[in-house]
Amino acid sequence: MKSVREKFWASVTTYAALVVICALAMIPLLWMVSTSLKSDSEIVESPPRWIPDKLMWDNYRLAISSEWAHFPLWTRNTLIIAVLAVIGTTFSSAVVAYGFAKIRFRGRGPLFTLMLSTMMIPFPVLMVPLFGIFVWLGAHTPIQWLGTAKPLWVPSWFGSAFSIFLLRQFFTTIPDELSEAARIDGCSVWGIFWRIILPLSRPALSVVALFTFMWAWRDFLGPLIFLQRPTQYTLSLGLQTLQSQHGSTPWNQLMAASVLVILPVLVLFFIAQKTFIEGIATTGMKG
Amino acid sequence: MTRGEIRNLLKGLAFLSPWLIGFGVFMFLPIVLSMYYSLCDYNLLQSPAFIGAENYRALIHDGIFWKSLRVTLLYAAISLPAGLVVSLGVAVLLNVSVRGQAIFRTIIFVPSLVPTIAAAMLWRWMFNQRLGLINRALEPLLELLHKSGPPWLAQSAWVIPSLALMSLWSVGNTVIIYLAGLQDVPRELYEAAELDGAGKRQQLWHVTIPMISPVIFFNLVMAIIGILQVFDTPFMMTHGGPNRASYFYTFYLYDSAFTYLKMGYASAMAWIQLLLVLVLTGIAFGTSKRWVYYQGK
Amino acid sequence: MKRISRFILGVMAVGALCVLIFGPRPEPAVPPDRERDVVIHYWEKWLGPEYEAIQQVVDDFNDSVGREKHIYVELMSMSDIDQKTLVATAGGVPPDVAGLWDPMVVQFGSLGALVPLEDLAKAHHITAADYKPVYWNASHWAGHLYALPSTPAAVALFYNRRIFQENAAKLRSAGLDPDRPPQTIDELDRYSDVLTVYVTDAHGNRHVQRVGYLPMPPEWDWYVTSMPLWFGAEEWDARGRRFTLTDPGVIRAFEWMERFPRKLGVATVSEFFTSQGGFNTAQNSFMLGTQVMELQGPWMANYIHHDNPSMDHDWAVAPFPTAVPGLKNVTYCPFDTLMIPRGCKHIPEAFEFIAYVNRQDVMEKLCMLHCKNSPLSKVSWNFLHHHPNPYIGVFEELASSPNAHMTMQCPIAQEAGGELTAIVQGVLALEVDPKPALAAAQVRLQARYEEFEKALNRRMRAAN
Repeated sequence: MKSVREKFWASVTTYAALVVICALAMIPLLWMVSTSLKSDSEIVESPPRWIPDKLMWDNYRLAISSEWAHFPLWTRNTLIIAVLAVIGTTFSSAVVAYGFAKIRFRGRGPLFTLMLSTMMIPFPVLMVPLFGIFVWLGAHTPIQWLGTAKPLWVPSWFGSAFSIFLLRQFFTTIPDELSEAARIDGCSVWGIFWRIILPLSRPALSVVALFTFMWAWRDFLGPLIFLQRPTQYTLSLGLQTLQSQHGSTPWNQLMAASVLVILPVLVLFFIAQKTFIEGIATTGMKG
Repeated sequence: MTRGEIRNLLKGLAFLSPWLIGFGVFMFLPIVLSMYYSLCDYNLLQSPAFIGAENYRALIHDGIFWKSLRVTLLYAAISLPAGLVVSLGVAVLLNVSVRGQAIFRTIIFVPSLVPTIAAAMLWRWMFNQRLGLINRALEPLLELLHKSGPPWLAQSAWVIPSLALMSLWSVGNTVIIYLAGLQDVPRELYEAAELDGAGKRQQLWHVTIPMISPVIFFNLVMAIIGILQVFDTPFMMTHGGPNRASYFYTFYLYDSAFTYLKMGYASAMAWIQLLLVLVLTGIAFGTSKRWVYYQGK
Repeated sequence: MKRISRFILGVMAVGALCVLIFGPRPEPAVPPDRERDVVIHYWEKWLGPEYEAIQQVVDDFNDSVGREKHIYVELMSMSDIDQKTLVATAGGVPPDVAGLWDPMVVQFGSLGALVPLEDLAKAHHITAADYKPVYWNASHWAGHLYALPSTPAAVALFYNRRIFQENAAKLRSAGLDPDRPPQTIDELDRYSDVLTVYVTDAHGNRHVQRVGYLPMPPEWDWYVTSMPLWFGAEEWDARGRRFTLTDPGVIRAFEWMERFPRKLGVATVSEFFTSQGGFNTAQNSFMLGTQVMELQGPWMANYIHHDNPSMDHDWAVAPFPTAVPGLKNVTYCPFDTLMIPRGCKHIPEAFEFIAYVNRQDVMEKLCMLHCKNSPLSKVSWNFLHHHPNPYIGVFEELASSPNAHMTMQCPIAQEAGGELTAIVQGVLALEVDPKPALAAAQVRLQARYEEFEKALNRRMRAAN
């Protein structure tokens, strides 16, 4: 049995370690906010100060309305892609997951394994031929792909392996009796899906929606390759070109832009904390 | 097959149809094309010209290919073990019942939410040799040692360690996965161990780690797949420099395809990347039998 | 979900909806009365005042010829414009007009990424007689006209007359004339030696306070790697399709550049390079008076006037001296161009704009705003006498001279430029010995070129 003193020291060290680690996690973000509110001269001041003399909220205005930064345009572009991706992924993945979870048919197992294995394929293997396919489609069909954002959200309307997997695991936990009862009542397979299973799956669907939104908000390589016109750039891509274009970097404005990019994600997280953390935990557990 | 089975098959395929079409068009077709391109000289402006294994041969003689591979493997060698130790350690700490546990967890998770571009700009700013927070915070210590602040991202020898260090900042989501695993470990095992006289450290080594070894394994495999594809952060922060010291494999692949328009060459690189992923995960799976312990699944 | 979370989520959703509905659209902002015009997307590389200048020209076009012929040009500034244009062209969604650099005529032309313009030029009565030969020739590749100039360049010797006069006695005692600039490389060296000032600081270390002449950092531009031109040699033999890096003139040029770190010390050279930040900043050593002579283009007049107007009457321009007796008026002429990428859907309209920019009055307006010389053979009195650079006549003469050289007309010029830049960097840091480095580069680059030709022929065969 441990002595009271031993226990006391153990918890003190634990606390100390936790505080240090949390400080290391938070300090960069606090520094980001602090820099974003500094004036041009305060940035280079030595020793560095945390709270600027005057809070330069103007930096935020400058970051948004600068002529070379098209912040509102980029936000709108990113939102369109994100919303379309969320709706598409959630809906299509649910449909496919239902097929895998609730319908017993020949070859279901192997197809499921095939789908899982596609998660291992690195995107670079696909990106070059996908570009070629989109070029071909643009040249031989009336729909233009590469001058638009279609390559970024259309594929998500065909299901995403990760979301399908997550939802399928969830669906299998829904007792078969429910669907049986509905079937006896004359409900079609689609009806069971739409009216029974989906409403029960709100938590899992929220996880999928949330994760898809996060992914679309941050995606960089996809936009880099498929978006050809600067007017279509997403936030990630636009900010990156902005950062690389400027000879002398206005760090305070760049930090302001960064804060603005993080904010929606942060707010979403605080609202839906449980969903987030559960979602991540499930991926690890069932994997 | 019986009538019922056929009906179920059709229903199943109907529900699966979005994925089947998507798989066909956006995965299977590109993979086949990628193989074909890797055997061609193709710049998208003119039709592909078949050249057999020429691309692969050229890759073997390409110094930059080997450099990018070395860079990626060096980064993996540093960040994989470091990430594992740090995320596991933090998870173990967070698993201890202390007051405010939820707040600590939240704080540690937040950095992994930060969009890559924001993190890249932030850390570029923090790593700045003259004005960055890190060097300025170290100033008193450095003055004592009569040294100047490390160049971090500005020097070839420092770039990869700097990027690896930065990757530790966002271990949050891995920590959460470990936490979930830790919470699954039955209490009785710890109690039994304590009765046997095991100290905290022995408990960690002999109870905790074996019990969560499946989770460790999962994270390891995910990390391997992820590290071979690292692109965003070096692209945004150092753009491959200085002097290609942070020119990751996927970056060279991207350049071959979209800067030099050598689609065939890039496809060959992609296939080699796929091979590497398969080999490394194969090794992980192979050795897993020796150290991964599944509790009665 | 808790009530407050629901509320915040609601607010965010409303905010997102507002952005979606009322936010800015990616399509071009075409004025309402021009909505039925053909819209020409024009990508340009410039920023700042140079961008504003071309914007003026675009506005002028839209108000005059554009209005008449129902064409509306939309200007967009792009970073990495050559790479982005190439990928967009390969992707089938190129801009209609791209403002690239002249080496792309060869590079993109050999990839088949550009629309040939000779027929359109003929229809607009644009001929070789309208241009100075160096610019007209460099706009062609493999028998096709692939571009027309937008703004040209030529380089010459800028020298600080005031410092010459202040040191008249010293120059004369060295047998040099303070009232004229050096006429040969040899003289340049001697003027530079006399005018270089050393100081000894408190610790007894000698620093260079002022340097006579110093090559500029090779990363800034290709004039440095084209130094062999003033030594009577070329680095690429276009007719024989061979690199000629081991030509004695080339080696002499690089060995001449090695003189500078040897005489002044690597530290001095490196210090001069790093303290400047760019040729167009106020810290440029010529503008600060710490460098007496430099090789530059006509735009320097604008920068000097802007950043250090007190120097406005101190400087003068002359042709950069050569190392070959009898070889005069040598200059190097890169230029900005307008090209039409393959896949453009409005070729005649795009060319209307290009032709407009090449009208004498428009071109002269643009070149005066950019403070550059004109690519046209005919130059107005107004241009010569009201140009912001009082020595524009020198540049005009140089660009028209038979010894005005184009950039390397080689499909792998970009790679060659990279290698040569690395060699110059190494030479100026005394880390690289010119002769063996050039020999090694010769082998490498020649092999790369032959590989390129093989691939090109292979692709031609595949296409037929």
